[in-house]
Amino acid sequence: MDFKLTDEQVKLRKEFFDVCEELAKQRPEGFTGLEGVYDTDEGWEYHLWCAKEFAKRGWLALGWPSEYGGQGTIMDKVFLAEATGYHDVPGVDIFGEGMLAPTLFAVASEEIKREFLPSIASGERMWCELWSEPNAGSDLAALTTSAVRKGDEYVINGQKAWSTGAHRAHWAFALVRTDPHADRKQKGITFILFDMKTPGVTVNPLLYMDTGHLYNEVFLDDVRVPAKNIVGEENEGWRVTQTLAAFERSNLGAIMAMHRQLEHLVDYCNETKVKGEPLARNPLIRNRLAQIACELWAAHALAYRIADAQSKNEMALFDASAVKVFSGELQARMAQLGTDILGPYGQVKQSKWASFEGLYEKWYQQSFILNISMGTNEIQRNIIAWYGLGLQRMK
Amino acid sequence: MDITFTEEQEMLRKSASDFLATECPKTKVRELEEDEKGYSPEIWKKMAGLGWMGLVIPEEYDGMGMTFQDLTILLEQMGRSILPGPFTATVVEGAIPILEAGSEEQKRELLPKIANGESIFTMAILEPSGLYDASGIAVKATAQGDSFVIKGTKVFVEMANVADYLICVTRTKEGLSPEDGITLFIVDAKAPGVHCEVIPTIAMDKLCEVRFEDVAVPKKNMLGELDKGWPIVQRVTQKGAIAKCAESIGGMQVAVDMTIAYCKERVQYDRPIGAFQALQHIMADMWIVTQTSKYLVYQAAWMESEGVPCAMEVAMAKAYVNETYKWVTERAVSLHGGIGTSREHDIPLYYRRAKAADTAFGSTDFQRELVASRIGLIS
Repeated sequence: MDFKLTDEQVKLRKEFFDVCEELAKQRPEGFTGLEGVYDTDEGWEYHLWCAKEFAKRGWLALGWPSEYGGQGTIMDKVFLAEATGYHDVPGVDIFGEGMLAPTLFAVASEEIKREFLPSIASGERMWCELWSEPNAGSDLAALTTSAVRKGDEYVINGQKAWSTGAHRAHWAFALVRTDPHADRKQKGITFILFDMKTPGVTVNPLLYMDTGHLYNEVFLDDVRVPAKNIVGEENEGWRVTQTLAAFERSNLGAIMAMHRQLEHLVDYCNETKVKGEPLARNPLIRNRLAQIACELWAAHALAYRIADAQSKNEMALFDASAVKVFSGELQARMAQLGTDILGPYGQVKQSKWASFEGLYEKWYQQSFILNISMGTNEIQRNIIAWYGLGLQRMK
Repeated sequence: MDITFTEEQEMLRKSASDFLATECPKTKVRELEEDEKGYSPEIWKKMAGLGWMGLVIPEEYDGMGMTFQDLTILLEQMGRSILPGPFTATVVEGAIPILEAGSEEQKRELLPKIANGESIFTMAILEPSGLYDASGIAVKATAQGDSFVIKGTKVFVEMANVADYLICVTRTKEGLSPEDGITLFIVDAKAPGVHCEVIPTIAMDKLCEVRFEDVAVPKKNMLGELDKGWPIVQRVTQKGAIAKCAESIGGMQVAVDMTIAYCKERVQYDRPIGAFQALQHIMADMWIVTQTSKYLVYQAAWMESEGVPCAMEVAMAKAYVNETYKWVTERAVSLHGGIGTSREHDIPLYYRRAKAADTAFGSTDFQRELVASRIGLIS
């Protein structure tokens, strides 16, 4: 067993961190995470600009086969995620680069790959995911948005919900029902791609609790999509979603973001005096920060193991569930600790009264984004219990 | 990076697992808990035959010359079987400090005896204050001619009741700092004036009170240099912390596996209780923290083995695993219900050991304080 990175990896990882540190200098004030990308025009522009910066270095195609312009390995992609996470830099489209590209490599036809991969690698086309519906959340296969084949087109009707960034994205990958009569609800679903400017697509905001515009509901009324835009076979869309294993699942981006947050809190406690003594000397504060540091390092060690297993094609889905649950819930605890340490200022939004540009107030609310999306942590625990531990599946 | 065990390590793990499954069933563990010696000389002899006590001792001293990481693989298996006995005491508190700080003469004399199973060692660190830092060392050693005379009481000395040698951590000088003026001596456990009494403890694991009543130790039995022994103790407690963590992750995994097996088998309300989500999610969480614990420990063990400075990572591993082992075994007993609380059941053996493990080589709060300084909080 060996945790050592090669000299080449150390060098490349440093390059990622150096570039991200530079990009971070241009960040709009108060920018953070996914909400930062989608909420404001400045945030979105910043995201697109960072994407271009990465694209020109070939970093949006890490781990791709070379015939599609790829370079490096999936471990390199993990290192880039560490760098963007630590510096809170956007630019990597979690939907296009993160989810769609690996899916296309796993199941798509050559024609689809040739059509859609280049604009992901160049950072020009940003994607959103239209999967969840008002009555199909954790039970995603209960989705009812219909697609009816008419000639060379599908005509799509229905409503999607919780669609992250749908108000900004250029294109969508959607799950639609093409066979309403299939004997199992997982059958008869199709994975399809379309332009968000297609007539009949209406996007309404679903504001987050902090008033940020991250999520949307998307209405699809007679949206006509070329039939050639399906990924995989018709009615086999559920299977396409199961190629999730190919996504980068280490969560190292979120974990590195927490390393940065911890450093900020340590600095804050060293500099802030209460009754003439630095907060850092308060034994309770020391104990709480140390406890969370231990948990953070534990998450990091497991994340590296997931990344290593994934790069060898040996990762089980429930392995990835473990690190998602643990690091996501750790993020909630970290945000709570941060707001506690800031005392009454922990509740302050970006303003002249705020510490850290009001970021802890945001993070306190945003941890749900990790813990509910992409399969809630309760669903992840089911996955672990059923597939990892062999316990009886819920009927 | 390759976060899997090598083929050789897998072989070591497998052979240890097979050996312990045969030699150390839980009936044996319970029997040894109530045994006066607290270990089985027959198993000990067989372990010597397998080369375990000499695993990290170089070949020139009759050992196998393997790495510290390899040792932790063995310890993880011992933690699974909760093998009672003086293995950690002899290897981590005896062989390793002699190897690192001993004179050539001491190494030639003592290391082969450890490797072949002839001698049991332990280290006497803690005193009634219970502190693992240097300020806790008050037992005095005073120079008298060619000897030092040791006077004072040590407590929680692991397996001192059967040890042939005790490495005693003494104060030889009141220095400028607590770390200054500490000297280690290799003491013959049968020397006049050494009195040992077993302290009844939660894991019934033969932690002893050892009283040194003017025990004369020849100067040549000093381990390391006069007054400069504290770094040796620090290295022992650091390696000891990893060793304890390695045992703990082995124990945690067994507690998780036993709980899952029981919940698949135990039927209530016409179905196995493991079909209830209330219990499934507890077991998922038990498994998750076992995973995080394992890789945190593996990483610390690898760093220690490679000689990478890792005081912070080790403190983190110990602070974390202290808590996760207790939590996992508490959940394990609970999910077993009434039967899980009985003397005859195996699961409480782990629950009791989780508490014992947490006290060894530094409690959670002690370790967290080390972590707090290392992450940059000013003190």
